[in-house]
Amino acid sequence: MKKPMQFLMSVSTLALASITIVTANAATTAGVSVTNNVTVSYQVGGTNQTDISTSDTFIVDRKINISVAEQGNASTSVSPNEQNAVTTFTVTNASNDVIDIGLSAANGAAAHGGTDNFDVTGIQIYLDDGDGSFDGDDTLITYLDEMTAGETRTVFIVADIPDQSNGDVAGVRLTGTAREGEGVGSQGAVITESATNNKAAEDTVFADADGVYDGIAFANDDYEVSAAILTAVKISEVLATNYPVTGASEFFNIPGATVQFCIAVSNAAGGATATGVAIADPIPLKMTFVANSILIGGTYDNNATAGDTSDDSCTGGSTGGSFDGTTVTGNLGSIAAGATGVITFQATID
Amino acid sequence: MKFLIALIALLTPIQIASANQVALESKVFVERTQVQSDGTVETILSPPERVVPGDVLVFVLNYENKGDEPVNDFSVTNPLPDAVAFRKSDDAGTVYSVDGGKNWGVLAELSVLDVDGESRPAMASDVTHIRWLVAEPIPIGGTGQLTFTGVIK
Repeated sequence: MKKPMQFLMSVSTLALASITIVTANAATTAGVSVTNNVTVSYQVGGTNQTDISTSDTFIVDRKINISVAEQGNASTSVSPNEQNAVTTFTVTNASNDVIDIGLSAANGAAAHGGTDNFDVTGIQIYLDDGDGSFDGDDTLITYLDEMTAGETRTVFIVADIPDQSNGDVAGVRLTGTAREGEGVGSQGAVITESATNNKAAEDTVFADADGVYDGIAFANDDYEVSAAILTAVKISEVLATNYPVTGASEFFNIPGATVQFCIAVSNAAGGATATGVAIADPIPLKMTFVANSILIGGTYDNNATAGDTSDDSCTGGSTGGSFDGTTVTGNLGSIAAGATGVITFQATID
Repeated sequence: MKFLIALIALLTPIQIASANQVALESKVFVERTQVQSDGTVETILSPPERVVPGDVLVFVLNYENKGDEPVNDFSVTNPLPDAVAFRKSDDAGTVYSVDGGKNWGVLAELSVLDVDGESRPAMASDVTHIRWLVAEPIPIGGTGQLTFTGVIK
């Protein structure tokens, strides 16, 4: 062998041409035997001696580390009485072995602000079919079968929302438990940590990322109810039109007078858009509906005094609605948060 | 005695095996940090009974010249086990290979191709082989220790 210095110089020139393709490596599989071989060459009295070798071997243990993460980092917005409301999670097997992961879902704490103040019902867990959205192709599950090392799967918590109010929050929690991957189609036993450690055997070690070494991981998400907050006012005023007293400057509720009714439906800011808002209002006794007098889509003015309807007024609108002889009906369609839908109609006092 | 060996070496190309001239001992330890009762953190080396991916390992080679002559050109070659990514070695005279032992040099002079086929300077994790070249002769009875640190992939 050359002297070290010469050797270093000779390899320096070679090093420039030294090229190797580097590929990423996955975590070492549990049970793999690692042997470190060392070979020594040397000279005695200027003569090369036979190389001598030594080695040391150990077994890579099974590192159990699973994680559950909520997707989207936001509340799932739901409507009162919504069925099959979905929150999305990912479950990852960061262990170096194939395992099953048992799943459970339950009501929990609010995850994105607010306070949990109601429980969802009918909680179920579905495995995504790969498209990332809950649909009929997804599978109802209670555990994830045969998760390979490093594998991540998407699961959904699907639940029903009771009749709740705007801003109500229900937290949910998905919990995963590491279980033995004992074969396809059956859930293995809960994995336990090895009581003793052996250099020459595959031991099981909990290495939970959450710092609690139990092979259990969870994540929270929540549902927030987005409801419309509707209020309605009904006002009336006697019109000058067709007033039975000629030349009158003030108009009273007297027989023959025409009264305009206005129903204004307001959806408060911050709520959901109300859709399919329909109005049905029976014509009062002792009054007669004025044909073709229904106007929809007018404007309502509370004269800057909310709560005091005495000075309110409605104007405009387009002909619509219907009258069946007793009841005026009209469809106001969608009313966005902060908007008001208006229907007006006229009737004469008998 | 010295003369005789030299003579035989000249006459025949075969190497002379001097059994047990150098004694070797290879050991692996797991490096762990342990919080002491006074709150300080201490690094301890423990036997590789519990080894999982991500653990830091310290590989130690102890050698001793048990012969009756000094040993020269002492060179130790250590291919990295597949499951181990090289971190560092603080020993003097250490050279590395990043191509399976074909080419050797100090790490700063080696390069590899990344996944895009671009050449980039080699990093510790690219190392496939380590070689220690002990410059000084090892006297009779002399001992030494070579170490490197790696991490379980």
